[in-house]
Amino acid sequence: MAARVLQQCVRSLARPSLRLCPVNLALRPAVAPTVTVHRLLSFAADSRRTRWLEQSRISSVGVFCRQYGDLPPLTIETIKDRVMYVLKLYDKINPEKLQTTSHFMKDLGLDSLDQVEIIMAMEDEFGFEIPDAEAEKLMTPEEIVQYIADKKDVYE
Amino acid sequence: MSSRLPVAALSLKQFLQRQKVLGIYRNMLRTIRQVPDEADRKYLRDWARSEFKRNKDATNQDAIRMMITQASNHLEELQKSLALARS
Repeated sequence: MAARVLQQCVRSLARPSLRLCPVNLALRPAVAPTVTVHRLLSFAADSRRTRWLEQSRISSVGVFCRQYGDLPPLTIETIKDRVMYVLKLYDKINPEKLQTTSHFMKDLGLDSLDQVEIIMAMEDEFGFEIPDAEAEKLMTPEEIVQYIADKKDVYE
Repeated sequence: MSSRLPVAALSLKQFLQRQKVLGIYRNMLRTIRQVPDEADRKYLRDWARSEFKRNKDATNQDAIRMMITQASNHLEELQKSLALARS
C-alpha cells in the first residue's frame, strides 16, 4: 500500500518535469528524457527507497542544460552607451552639449571635484575600482570608454 | 632666462596639496558609499560637496593645510562610526 502511495506522489512530481522535457527536447534532440522518466516511475513503484532520494532524482530529470549566472558581455558600443547615459544623468552636465569628445574641464566647464564625482559614478556603474593615478587622467568620455575597454579586455 | 612655464602653473607644493585634497574627496565619497541608508548617503554627499566647493578658492597654504586636517578627521570619524554600526 505504501508503494501505491509513493507511486502517486512520484507521478504528481514527475508531471511538472515532463512539462519541462519538451523545452529541453527542443534544445537537445534526444529520446533519453522520456525513457529515463518511464524508468524512474517503474523504479519508484517497485522499491521502497527513501522519499528524498526519489525527489532528488526527479528534480535532476527535469533540467538537462546547465544554467550559469553572468552579466551580459561588454562591447565598445554598450560601454559607450552606458557611459553617456551616466553622464547625462549627472546634474551639472548639459545633455545637449555632451559628446564623446567633449573635455570635462575645457568644454563642459566642470572642475576637478566634479571629475572625481564622475569617475566615482563610473566605478559604481561598471562595478570595479579605478585607482587615483589613472582616474585623474580621464578627461573625456572617449578616454573613459577606452580605459574601461582596456581593463575589461574588450576588443573589436 | 625667462621661465617657459605658463603663469597659472602650480608650484610643486601646491600641486601635491591639490592631489591630496582630491584624494581625500575620493576617499570621502568611497566611505559614504558604505552608509546603509540612502537618504543619509545623499545628505552626506551634498554636505561633502558643498564643504569642498565652498573652500575651493582658498590660496593660503596654511589655511589649506588646516582644512585638509579637518577633512581627514571628519573622514576618520565617519569610518569609525561605520565600523561600530557594522559590528
